[in-house]
Amino acid sequence: VYAASVLQWGVWALFLCPCHLTVSTPLDCRDDPGSLTRCPSISQEKLLDRVIHHAELIYRVSEELCSLFEELFIPFPLRLQSNQAGYACITKALPIPSSKSEIQEISDKWLLQSVLMLVQSWIEPLVYLQMTLDNYDHAPDMLLNKTKWVSEKLISLEQGVVALIKKMLDEELLTTVYSEPSVLQNDVQPEVLESVMKDYTLLSCFKKDAHKMETFLKLLKCRQTDKYNCA
Amino acid sequence: MKKAEGVIILWWLLFFTLHAEGTSYSLPGKPTLTNCRSPEKETFTCWWEPGSDGGLPTTYHLYYRKESSDAVHECPDYRTAGKNSCFFNKNDTSIWINYNITVVATNARGSTFSDPVEIDVVYIVKPNPPEKVTANVSWNKSWPSLRVSWDPPQKADTRSGWITLIYELRIKLEGEDKWEEHPAGQQKMYNIYSLQSGGTYLVQVRCRPDHGFWSEWSDSTYFKVPDYFPQERSIWIIIMIFSVFIFLILIWAIHMNSHTLKHHILPPVPGPKIKGFDKQLLKSGKSRDAFSSLVGSDFPPTTTNYEDLLVEYLEVYIPEEQGLMLEEGKDLHDGSLKSKSYTSDSDSGRGSCDSHALLVDKSEEEKEVGQKSNQQGGRTEMDLKRPEESPEENILNYSHANVGSPDVSCEKVKTWPSLFSPLTENSSGPLDQPDSPEMAKQHCLSDSLFPPSPLSSPFAPPGHKEVLGSNYQEYSFGNLHPQTGSHQYLRAHGNMNVANIGHKGVPADLQLPPVRSTEYVEVQKVNNENMVLLYRVSSDVEKGCPGRRHTEEYSRLKGVNNDNGLLLLQRMVSEEEMNICPYEDQESSGLTDSGYTTSTAQKSTAYIPPATQVLDERVAGGYVDTSMFTLPIY
Repeated sequence: VYAASVLQWGVWALFLCPCHLTVSTPLDCRDDPGSLTRCPSISQEKLLDRVIHHAELIYRVSEELCSLFEELFIPFPLRLQSNQAGYACITKALPIPSSKSEIQEISDKWLLQSVLMLVQSWIEPLVYLQMTLDNYDHAPDMLLNKTKWVSEKLISLEQGVVALIKKMLDEELLTTVYSEPSVLQNDVQPEVLESVMKDYTLLSCFKKDAHKMETFLKLLKCRQTDKYNCA
Repeated sequence: MKKAEGVIILWWLLFFTLHAEGTSYSLPGKPTLTNCRSPEKETFTCWWEPGSDGGLPTTYHLYYRKESSDAVHECPDYRTAGKNSCFFNKNDTSIWINYNITVVATNARGSTFSDPVEIDVVYIVKPNPPEKVTANVSWNKSWPSLRVSWDPPQKADTRSGWITLIYELRIKLEGEDKWEEHPAGQQKMYNIYSLQSGGTYLVQVRCRPDHGFWSEWSDSTYFKVPDYFPQERSIWIIIMIFSVFIFLILIWAIHMNSHTLKHHILPPVPGPKIKGFDKQLLKSGKSRDAFSSLVGSDFPPTTTNYEDLLVEYLEVYIPEEQGLMLEEGKDLHDGSLKSKSYTSDSDSGRGSCDSHALLVDKSEEEKEVGQKSNQQGGRTEMDLKRPEESPEENILNYSHANVGSPDVSCEKVKTWPSLFSPLTENSSGPLDQPDSPEMAKQHCLSDSLFPPSPLSSPFAPPGHKEVLGSNYQEYSFGNLHPQTGSHQYLRAHGNMNVANIGHKGVPADLQLPPVRSTEYVEVQKVNNENMVLLYRVSSDVEKGCPGRRHTEEYSRLKGVNNDNGLLLLQRMVSEEEMNICPYEDQESSGLTDSGYTTSTAQKSTAYIPPATQVLDERVAGGYVDTSMFTLPIY
């Protein structure tokens, strides 16, 4: 079973990897002697700032999405700030530091890597969420637009993080996609409430993960400027 | 026996001990977790509310379970946060992980579990209020502004970016109730500009993470805005501008109505309305000239003898032809060649020569003439013209004149319309126009001799037109040919003292006295300035030229036409009469040259050529002694 899941992930990685690579190429400006065009290079600090801005925006919009969804579709008794036990976040399995002390212990590289993992693992589910929300009867346009916007911004965030990794760590990481297979495989039409709850959980999890990304990146920034006083 | 008693006692003891407790034992009440808070996203604390204790000492325990594991942990620290609290320190705090927390109340009877609470530390962050709130007043071009600055709460690690805080401040005047709130974003200072001068303000700041709760408001920071002037000054400036504006409007309004205001405030002083008094003369400084016109009146008496004064009177002699004869007074120096306006100018002090001696109404004339005249028989007046008179129209230009040479030459002569026109141009119709052409000898007396009032009444006909205002007319003699010897005489009657008329036999009612010996002012010449030079003619008829014409020197007044023209009967003057006796008693009447302007506007008879003067005025001035006049038709 374990081997099968790994195989699945590998297939997904191979399948999706080229896309990400091709997508991320434009940010990867290399001064090829042979290339006709020269990309304007951007400094690392600026790049990091921009990435942080992206993450902040994404978090803010996801927060709005979540509260909007909650207002529209979730009956009051079921409104919970946190996830219900039954529906775990898809990124639960990711090895992401979960406390400040833990974060203080991990390296920059790993921080970035964590961010990348998070970003990449949410691209798919957001697309799925978009599709799901279209099926809703009374989903307002704002909800749909915000979801669309977030998924787009997430993609660009990923690009930025990749470029950042390249710049900071001077490594080309093979980006592996951590996707939750359960999400995609669930084609069974659940009950309405269940599906609503599921979406709600999805949004909540996404909101949390967006906050994680933002925090990591900010900590990373601190580390860049003041290494010894940061978390 | 002993066993049964022991059992009873034992049961009794048990029963009592049970009851001795007082209350029934029960399970403890259900505790409730009230809230959990994290001040900096690194630690957190949970508080609970205990329920009833069930009568037994109850202990509380908090157990939590993290999201991903099933391990149950107990609260590591019950003390730090106080009673009924659990404090999770850094090591025990995980972010982005759900905690499932339960509180258990336990007593001897049992345990009661509270409802579980799921929390994520990230979402329960409530920071401490910001610290070190300072308010600095700074001046920017004499306007104060306030800069409020603060520090984040000490525990919150905003520097590393672990937690991002958003701030908000509020400000109010001391004593007010309403706060003015300003969101400040992530910055740690804020500027406030609209401040009241001299006011004391309170400032408070609070913060919250982008995913948590608002902190409490910081302690109030007081600051006082120093007084600054502009606030007061601006009001005064506005007031001043407004008042200046109103002032300008008032000035403009006054200026627009200055004329009427002047009349209201400073009513114009009525000027002298003395007939024959020329204001311009006075202004020009020739007071003698100015007063000379008044000299004809009885005041001031001049160098004449008193006797002369007494002698003067005006006589209106009305012959049977129902003409008016005018006798001249003695004194001639008054230069009474002023043409009088025919109006009864009561304020002019003039004699009634002009006003009433010559009546407008024909009927009246006849009546009055009939009254008075007849004393001397028919005197014929008419000397409307001389045969030698040139047919041309001449305008008699007369004025106060110095006695001069008999040569009279004058450029133009203005006709007396009423006299001449019936003679020359056309006939007025109703009146009997004398045939004699233009010029009529006329003399007119200054009616200043007569106070208007006494004479006015008898003579004022009802239909009297007071057209002749106190105006003077210009008369210029036409060419007088010396050869012909015709002269035009202006006889002026001077009656100095009306009051003395009676002395002379003037009727008491001041009717025009019968003709007595009269003195004439004869026109000696008309000099180049168109002035008539008069000389006094001796009243002694015997002295003078024979046939002094006093019998014939009157023209009968036919009447005054509608246009206030005096219509005089023309009288043919014989040649002899034309001969003028040598001048005697050339006397300077003391008249000064003066020109009299006539008002043409008022009188224009139909037969008056526009340029000419109304005859009336001259006639009105006195007597019309046509015998004296030669028509200046040379």
